Amino acid sequence: MTGRATPSSNPRTFALALRFALREMRGGLSGFLIFIACIALGVAAIGGVNSVARSVTAGVAEEGQSLLGGDIRFELNQRQVTQAERDFLVGLGTVAESADMRSMARLEDGSDQALVEAKAVDAAYPLYGELVTEPALPRAELFGEKNGAFGAAAPDLLFERLGIQPGARIKLGTRTFELRARLVTEPDAASEGFGFAPRLLLSLEGLNASGLVQPGSLVEHAYKVRLESRTSEADLARIREQAAAAFPEAGWSIRTRLNAAPALSANIDRFSQFLTLVGLTALVVGGVGVANAVRAYLDGKRGVIATFKSLGASGGFVFVVYLIQILLIAGLGILAGLMLGALMPFAAQAALASFIPVPAETGIYPAALAMAALFGVLVTLAFALLPLGRARDVPATALFRELGFEAGELPRGPYVIAAAGIAVALALLAIWFSGDRRIATIFVGAVVFAFLVLRAVGQAVQWLARRSPRVRSVALRLAIGNIHRPGALTPSVVLSLGLGLTLLVTLALIDGNLRRQIAGTLPERAPNFFFVDVQSTEVDGFASFVAEQAPGGKLVRVPMLRGRIVQLNGIDVQKVQVPPEGAWVLRGDRGITYARKLPESSTLAAGEWWPEDYSGEPLVSFSAQEAGEIGLNIGDTVTVNVLGRDITARIASLRNVEWESMSINFVMVFSPNTFAGAPHSWLATLTTPDATIAEEARLLNAVTRSFPAVTTVRVKDALDVVNRIVEQLGTAIRAVASVALVASVLVLSGALAAGNRARVHDAVVLKTLGATRRTLIAAFSLEYALIGLATAIFALFAGGLAGWYVVAQVMRLPSAFLPEVALATVVAALVLTVGFGLAGTWRVLGHKAAPVLRNL
Amino acid sequence: MTEPVIQLKDVSLTLGHGASSVHVLKGVSLEVEQGEATGIVGPSGSGKSTLLMVLAGLERVDAGTVRIAGELLNGRSEDQIAAFRGRNVGIVFQSFHLIPNMTALENVAVPLELAGHPDPFAAAERELAAVGLSERTTHYPGELSGGEQQRVAIARALAPDPRILIADEPTGNLDQATGRQIADLLFAKARERGMTLVLVTHDPALAHRCARQVAMRSGRIEAAPALAAVPA
Repeated sequence: MTGRATPSSNPRTFALALRFALREMRGGLSGFLIFIACIALGVAAIGGVNSVARSVTAGVAEEGQSLLGGDIRFELNQRQVTQAERDFLVGLGTVAESADMRSMARLEDGSDQALVEAKAVDAAYPLYGELVTEPALPRAELFGEKNGAFGAAAPDLLFERLGIQPGARIKLGTRTFELRARLVTEPDAASEGFGFAPRLLLSLEGLNASGLVQPGSLVEHAYKVRLESRTSEADLARIREQAAAAFPEAGWSIRTRLNAAPALSANIDRFSQFLTLVGLTALVVGGVGVANAVRAYLDGKRGVIATFKSLGASGGFVFVVYLIQILLIAGLGILAGLMLGALMPFAAQAALASFIPVPAETGIYPAALAMAALFGVLVTLAFALLPLGRARDVPATALFRELGFEAGELPRGPYVIAAAGIAVALALLAIWFSGDRRIATIFVGAVVFAFLVLRAVGQAVQWLARRSPRVRSVALRLAIGNIHRPGALTPSVVLSLGLGLTLLVTLALIDGNLRRQIAGTLPERAPNFFFVDVQSTEVDGFASFVAEQAPGGKLVRVPMLRGRIVQLNGIDVQKVQVPPEGAWVLRGDRGITYARKLPESSTLAAGEWWPEDYSGEPLVSFSAQEAGEIGLNIGDTVTVNVLGRDITARIASLRNVEWESMSINFVMVFSPNTFAGAPHSWLATLTTPDATIAEEARLLNAVTRSFPAVTTVRVKDALDVVNRIVEQLGTAIRAVASVALVASVLVLSGALAAGNRARVHDAVVLKTLGATRRTLIAAFSLEYALIGLATAIFALFAGGLAGWYVVAQVMRLPSAFLPEVALATVVAALVLTVGFGLAGTWRVLGHKAAPVLRNL
Repeated sequence: MTEPVIQLKDVSLTLGHGASSVHVLKGVSLEVEQGEATGIVGPSGSGKSTLLMVLAGLERVDAGTVRIAGELLNGRSEDQIAAFRGRNVGIVFQSFHLIPNMTALENVAVPLELAGHPDPFAAAERELAAVGLSERTTHYPGELSGGEQQRVAIARALAPDPRILIADEPTGNLDQATGRQIADLLFAKARERGMTLVLVTHDPALAHRCARQVAMRSGRIEAAPALAAVPA
């Protein structure tokens, strides 16, 4: 005989292990269907969500020019460009000018009105993309003045709101407009940000004739430029720098085609990151299924492992053989998940079209899919390493005697360390991939905590069952015994169902509380109306008119300007590092005001309020929380650009602002002398708690008739819009969360099925000892119900805590525990455990005793 | 005089912990010469299978020394002993323990592959032919009779050409006629290759075919009488 043992090199060992693994897998994948499904689901959720997000952002990038309306866009609030600025813009290329403002469109007879987002364009519009109207009309015919009326176009929504048809006439400000066409596509809609109301597209001449544009009116002027030749990113950056250098105080915000819809892109990013975390939870829940499947598989392979060892295989070799098998099986799940994830942008395209104003670019997004695959591999390894490590330690003596390896026994140190290391890497990657690291860290921490606590809950339930007093009912006694006996289902059922249910309870509570706020609590506390663009000359007359129309109401009015923070302590805000939660204050224009006295809904947190007749250097009072987030303190300076002028003010005080009061609140309140002489309009709120819908409608109508330039926003309408958005977001969140629940149910059904195999033996023995079918069904039902109930109670407690944290601490809204969520959770847990449990047990009870007994 | 291939000296072993612990081997000493056939007999629970595991390096002893094929096994790691076993010890089990997802040929090739044999499948094919199974190489264990499965197991144990062949009740799961054929095969191959054969059995007839019998009772060797020559 030849071939004495020679030491094998590592690549050879691996090749041999791969060969052995492939031979081992000839037995098929029957025990791995749940494993594969769990991994596929989680990978599909993560890959799909990120692919869809990338398809939208790719759409934004691809359509950058038409979304932006030009190659580069300059925006100004409340003022048009100066001649010098215009000359600069014209020097760059072809300029298209537009003006945006909110206003009230009224029927000619004054019987009804609707809030509109008016957008006035010039003849050059659009520079890119196509304006589509129905019917398609030449520009002069669409917008020109004819028979005493300018032309305009609006989407179906406005026609529906006012109950009119194309050809109808409406009034805007003091002029009449004829709605000559339906607006089908407005190419640069996405870059205008989120609109509360339907668009009304008209000409600049028409807007100017309406009398709505007054000094201080909240108008946004946009100048979109088509550059003469194709420009690179560097060219665009250079133009920005030139503009900033030539007009340092212009106060314009400049965007290029590379960043056409920043708000949309940022929201898509944030939302997809959140959904990725939810998807990752689904994957982690599925990880429990992976661990169960690997453990069951390796249990069945103990004889083979011991045989390998008796024939000279090392423990490490055995480990590699089975690791390869598990990774190959996970690879199948990952592949299936990636295929589903890759298809999602195509499937989501139609659904997205209704609420994202951007054509999503459908395609395959390798980076999104790679991230999902990486998570899939890491979850597999994190959950499979411990059972694999235990398999490595199966002694060859197992062939001689059934010593067994205890399920709870930990494998040797390196495997435990490796599994823990991979779990940490998984958590760090999840946090790293997320934009908001703080939220991601809390989320990951919560999942880890829930995981650990669920294990403890499982053990506690078993401990309680072990120590419960002996009961008279045979069924209950059997049930309690089943809960704590060795190899009981309790730990795996509590863990698998608990994670999914907890996530669902958390999301249901956040969603429910938000809706309660929007539907009930907020409208009760909020004012009934906001009035925007009340001119200084008419503010007193307006106040008297409203007092007459709503005698019991309370009108609050404040001066309102728009301004953008450009420097903090003399440093350009672009160069200041600010945490994400405070970044919104520095982004774009903010409403600002001035006041002699501390506003009603604020309290002083630090510093002093200025005297009523103060006339020194400009001072500002900053909202305490936002100041803390940005890192501002008393004595720091803030420079804001208002109406093209940079104004620097020193922070004199910090205020606690009750944002949730929905009254007029500003981040920054300046000393009155800061804006002396600056043209501005007023913002007012009217609170009439007892007003009926009819009274509100009458008041809205009366104000619009008498003050056509004043824009009136009914708070209930605005909240309806918010509610609709919450509903759409909620649908997406629920869809992804349901993936976690499906993973939970898969794992649960797998655990129950594995338990049922052991149960055949128990049931047959009990039957031979005289137990009736009824007793056994009652015992199994009670067992499943008790475990399900314990899991539901934990899910309610943990989900309630997480929901409270998000609602009360992150969103700063009143949080309530919702009984309907509690009831639904308990019912879901019981239906799932008892339903799945009994479905399997039914087959168990049908087994004939003899064949089983012969094999005992 | 050559050194015995098996040398156990004052070997003790306790299995289990605490109240459930059992003192299985109590100061066992045993020497077996190269090429000798030894049958270990004794009632259930006497420690004979455990003794076999100690010989195969599958069980570590608490006290005493274990020297097999000239190598001291005490203090070696599990993986070192596995490699040692692959080279020096072939095992035949009562329940065959073939790997169900591998063909007969692949089962026989496993120890050769693990040992880095340059052509494991050709060698495995020769071994299968030697036990009369050249027609069954591509069959899976489930497709073979009990006797055929045990022949595959013997071929697998012989394949690396070990110095010691250990068999635990090799005919225990077979009918009388098949059992006799398997025993014939086992003894013939051991003698042909000059291997040391140690087998555990309850079957007095099988034990009597060994040159030497070792009787165990309560973890101790009762007697080690030399018997007549191994029947052909």
